[in-house]
Amino acid sequence: MGKSSKDKRDLYYRKAKEQGYRARSAFKLLQLNDQFHFLDDPNLKRVVDLCAAPGSWSQVLSRKLFDESPSSDKEDRKIVSVDLQPMSPIPHVTTLQADITHPKTLARILKLFGNEKADFVCSDGAPDVTGLHDLDEYVQQQLIMSALQLTACILKKGGTFVAKIFRGRDIDMLYSQLGYLFDKIVCAKPRSSRGTSLEAFIVCLGYNPPSNWTPKLDVNTSVDEFFQGCFLNKLCISDKLSHWNEEERNIAEFMACGSLQSFDSDATYHDLPSSVAGTSSSLDPVQSPTNPPYKKALELKRSGKLTRSV
Amino acid sequence: MKDLSHYGPALCVKFYNDYVLAGYGPFIHVYDYHSATLINKCRLFHYNKVHGLSLSSEGKILAYGARSVTIVELEDVLKKESLVDFERINSDWITGATFSFDNLQIYLLTCYNKVLICDLNCEVLFRKSLGGERSILYSGIIKVFGPDKVYVNAGTVMGGVIIWDLFSETKIHNLLGHEGSIFYVNLSNNGRYVASCSDDRSIRLWDLETGKQLSVGWSHTARIWNLMFFDNDSKLISVSEDCTCRVWNIIESRENVAELSISNVYEVHLIKSIWGVDVKDDEMIAVTSGNDGRLKLIDLLQLKRHGDEETSFSLDDIAKQCGDIFEKNESIKGFQWFSFGVIAITSLGKILKYSDVTKQWKLLLTNEKFNSYPITNGIQTQNIAVFSNNKSDILLIKFSKDSADIIETEEFHLDELSKTNNCLVTEYDDDSFLLTLQSPNPREKFVCLEISLQNLKIKSKHCFNKPENFSSSCLTSFRNHILVGSRFSTLVIYNLLDESEEPFIIRRLSPGDTTTSIEFVEDKDNSAVFSVTNRDGYYVFIELTKNSLEEGPYRLSYKVLHSNKMMKGFLEGAFFNSKGEYITYGFKSSLFYLYNETNCYELASEVCGGSHRLWNLAKITDGHVLMYIKASRFHLRKIYNSIVPETLENGVHGREIRDISICPVSNTNTNDNFKDGHIFCTASEDTTIKLGYFNNRTGKVQNFWTQRKHVSGLQRCQFINHKLMISSSAREELFLWELNDKYNKRPYMTIRQALPVSTNNPDLRIMDFDVKFISQSGDFLLVTVYSDSTIKIWHYRENQNKFDLIMQGRYKTCCLFNVVFIALKEELLVVISPTDGHLVVYNITEYVPFSVDPISGDLVDHKLDPTISNLPAPVAQLPVHQSGIKSLDYVANATRTSATILTGGDDNGLGLSNLKLDDSNKVTLKTSDFIAAAASSTITSGMLINGGKEVITTSVDQVIRAWEITAGKLSLVDKKRTTVADTGSLDIISNDEDADSDKTLLIGGVGLSIWKK
Repeated sequence: MGKSSKDKRDLYYRKAKEQGYRARSAFKLLQLNDQFHFLDDPNLKRVVDLCAAPGSWSQVLSRKLFDESPSSDKEDRKIVSVDLQPMSPIPHVTTLQADITHPKTLARILKLFGNEKADFVCSDGAPDVTGLHDLDEYVQQQLIMSALQLTACILKKGGTFVAKIFRGRDIDMLYSQLGYLFDKIVCAKPRSSRGTSLEAFIVCLGYNPPSNWTPKLDVNTSVDEFFQGCFLNKLCISDKLSHWNEEERNIAEFMACGSLQSFDSDATYHDLPSSVAGTSSSLDPVQSPTNPPYKKALELKRSGKLTRSV
Repeated sequence: MKDLSHYGPALCVKFYNDYVLAGYGPFIHVYDYHSATLINKCRLFHYNKVHGLSLSSEGKILAYGARSVTIVELEDVLKKESLVDFERINSDWITGATFSFDNLQIYLLTCYNKVLICDLNCEVLFRKSLGGERSILYSGIIKVFGPDKVYVNAGTVMGGVIIWDLFSETKIHNLLGHEGSIFYVNLSNNGRYVASCSDDRSIRLWDLETGKQLSVGWSHTARIWNLMFFDNDSKLISVSEDCTCRVWNIIESRENVAELSISNVYEVHLIKSIWGVDVKDDEMIAVTSGNDGRLKLIDLLQLKRHGDEETSFSLDDIAKQCGDIFEKNESIKGFQWFSFGVIAITSLGKILKYSDVTKQWKLLLTNEKFNSYPITNGIQTQNIAVFSNNKSDILLIKFSKDSADIIETEEFHLDELSKTNNCLVTEYDDDSFLLTLQSPNPREKFVCLEISLQNLKIKSKHCFNKPENFSSSCLTSFRNHILVGSRFSTLVIYNLLDESEEPFIIRRLSPGDTTTSIEFVEDKDNSAVFSVTNRDGYYVFIELTKNSLEEGPYRLSYKVLHSNKMMKGFLEGAFFNSKGEYITYGFKSSLFYLYNETNCYELASEVCGGSHRLWNLAKITDGHVLMYIKASRFHLRKIYNSIVPETLENGVHGREIRDISICPVSNTNTNDNFKDGHIFCTASEDTTIKLGYFNNRTGKVQNFWTQRKHVSGLQRCQFINHKLMISSSAREELFLWELNDKYNKRPYMTIRQALPVSTNNPDLRIMDFDVKFISQSGDFLLVTVYSDSTIKIWHYRENQNKFDLIMQGRYKTCCLFNVVFIALKEELLVVISPTDGHLVVYNITEYVPFSVDPISGDLVDHKLDPTISNLPAPVAQLPVHQSGIKSLDYVANATRTSATILTGGDDNGLGLSNLKLDDSNKVTLKTSDFIAAAASSTITSGMLINGGKEVITTSVDQVIRAWEITAGKLSLVDKKRTTVADTGSLDIISNDEDADSDKTLLIGGVGLSIWKK
């Protein structure tokens, strides 16, 4: 998050800065929790945050499980955050810079948990979008499937999985697949997520995989091979590419999260509501802007080296 | 429901003999590219898009996209409507695919860097992969060098390019250097080079043998999506998110050293992204395909095809041909193109001729009178050169048709003017041309001479009064009038038949620089249309009307029909080409450009140094010639018409279409040109509004104009009657547009009024609006809803062309998505849908100076003084959806006592509510049906049709659904998938008022589809 933002609409952005969150997306998890209360469970011990950088969800987990928790025995609570990118430290959170698809990562988390399974796994990860909607949605679903592979190996029976989705063309196929792993799937849209964006979250409750299926992470197996025998509807890997057939699709229940009194991320606010008033001076960004891959190109452009001369 | 036509992202394109094959949604289009004819469109996939194509020498096509793959015969693709039965599905995304060396197998590269080797029946024979690698790929190709040498080139998301040998499954290189995801990799045919591009906006050239990075190419300003080698691996062509296609030379200086050097830039697509590119080596023609659905052909030899595209001369070069005649510091001061070549004048009055045939310069004569500030003009068609100086002298020279011999000269001095600072000429009639002279003294007359084309003698002289601040800059004649463009965006019209008549003056046509051109366009009845360009980048079409004799004494009047602004730079002129496309030219920083404004692409550009140069553009038989002076050299740049059609498909917007509106047919519309379809508007995220026309039967779309008035992404556009349209967007922009479709060649559209904004720096979005006309008038009420929960009601009066605010208020603090006026009985209601999922009803009858006619539902004006009142409290609020209501439509019952309201939400729900007035006019609002999972994603538009018996919805899950309503209940009757992603807008028109089934549907999102129901 940079220092200035021209968009007055973004109250959540201001609020995030004010409350020391690294990104406005912290409020999405908070509002999901307001609805589902998964972080308020006194028995919640071990949680995993996947694709965690820059770390706003880990901050929420840290505050909810430690700072704000009325619970007395916080000692055996553990939060592990994983990302390929490095992350600045967060109190009560163990950060791992690792690949979520790698079996070694699974082993490291399990070791940190003393070989106990996790109660809660979440992922707010999203890929760089290209503008090719089908590809962007596919890559996002693959990211979820990768998170789900690790989740399948680490989540306890009855546990909860939360992840960001794009509600595009094939989202109903994902709902249908998740239905084989969890008792209940809800598509949740927090009010802090703009109504004009395709973003929403799947809240998967009651982890309950088929009893005859054993998940096993292997660096050489594909996502499809991993879930072979789990998703009954999925294509079987055979020696012939199958003909086109309409795949199983399901529409998950929709739930808007956050009360109607919470800020509307699509609205423009003039007078800042009292909870964010007094912060009209510009706040320093909590997290320095990242180095984009096109940094050099930007520098060349600024110095006039990319102007057309042919 | 059936799809008729589709325009949208074209992801891949290939030349094959005389054809261009393009992946166009789930279809493959085949064009004969020499004639730009679409030979066939053939559906290959049920609903996946065709992302890539590979062709075998035996006429087989391997097409892939998402998880789909198919092998079909070109012969079938040329003839059949659909080949979807051959579609096969893989479990993973297919990133690349190609035929084997013997064409008997295919190789499929998946996004997990695995290769399936299949036979032509899609039987998997082998699976190949590189152990220990599990990165998802955005790109990858398989290059077949021989039966045993096949390389897989995988672009990872972590900046590495992995090259591995297919059969031995061993890694050859992991090329590191890029930052961010790799979006394309290619290998040269000779096996020497690897080229790659990435998120970092650079192109890197690598040595395939050593894996060494040879060169980095910077030039693109956004991500690069595709690249290929061509011209015997000596060049690279790349296409990008920045909408340009760029050509690079690979300069080999010595062994193992090669450098990328940018050689050409083509601005050819609309924002944003060009996805596909191919080159036909033997003809040196490229084809590109973009997110805008455009297929663009590019002549890669634009500067070399005819051999004389670029010539330049210094005065020394000219002296070598004409003898040592020039003095020190002498320079060329003017030039004019004629059929035989160039006539130029120097600062010492030497008049030179350049023959375009012999390429030789010759001194024709010297006239030292014309050494002070000479101005050169010409009547090109008659081979007459016109020179003037600042002392009121004129020199006219007429040349013979081809040999360029001087056949007539005439010189005269004009005593009426003490000094002259501008001279302009224009054609007039069969016997004469017109010449105007202007003095810097504001009290002196503006002189117009009628000069014989035969003997160059003055036939008549007209001395006109000059208006204030007049400084002539361009000239044209029309019948017995001259139209003179001036500085300060002024146009002055003089009647040649009556010198004493005061000129007709039009001021401030655009913000206010110099008028650069005036061209006659078309006429009808007593009116004529002219195109007027201004240096400030605006072009305006004006209609000049002469009153009829019955209407009293002779009088002129004018009206602006159309106005628009070029993206950037100086606009120096414009004309229509033979296809009726509007071509503009001017300067962008140091570039001269020629631009197809109708379809928005650059035709040619020249680095000439900028607009302050001495320059001149002339038409030649097969194109244009640009003459300019740069670094003391006289340059001749011929811009030939393309040897191939410029486009195969013009496409639509390059970004999401947020709204569509079809112009309702008016009873008074007398124009036969638009009778087989409808004029319509599309409003896009790209900040433009396009005005086009679609044919009802074929679904073919023709684009006329792209309006750039909005500066932010559009929210809405809506025709409110057959000639008025309203558009709205962020920054509180709302414009009232007026359409004119009476002329034969094209419709015109101009801004009539802008809605007042609330502050100097508005940042609110106008999310939606609705209009209610006042009976028997052009006045209407307008309701606007804003992102800060504000609701405003405006009274528009046609004769004053003014919006007056008459009511305002706020709902809460949340954003309002939709609004409609509903008139029931004698009550006027406003219904809004905020992001909180409620339907909220206001009864404003008591607060507006209008009443509702109980029979027609129209508003009746009570001519009361308008006062601004506050929005009353809502009379009904009903929670229908869990979150934002994205679409709102209604239909009132026949007696207008109740209305059915259809709502579609972000919560996937479709609601049907009943709004009713009881006997005491109390409002009741109840939901009669709610389908919670009416779609698997946001329902973005829903329309009630056939008097409220049926519903059509579109949603982000890319499904078009048709519903029936029986007794207040919805039931799904049909659903069809659309290839239009981010499906967000819909408009429907009945082609036959009596038939419920004959309807045309326009569906917009990333692309535009036309359907029949």
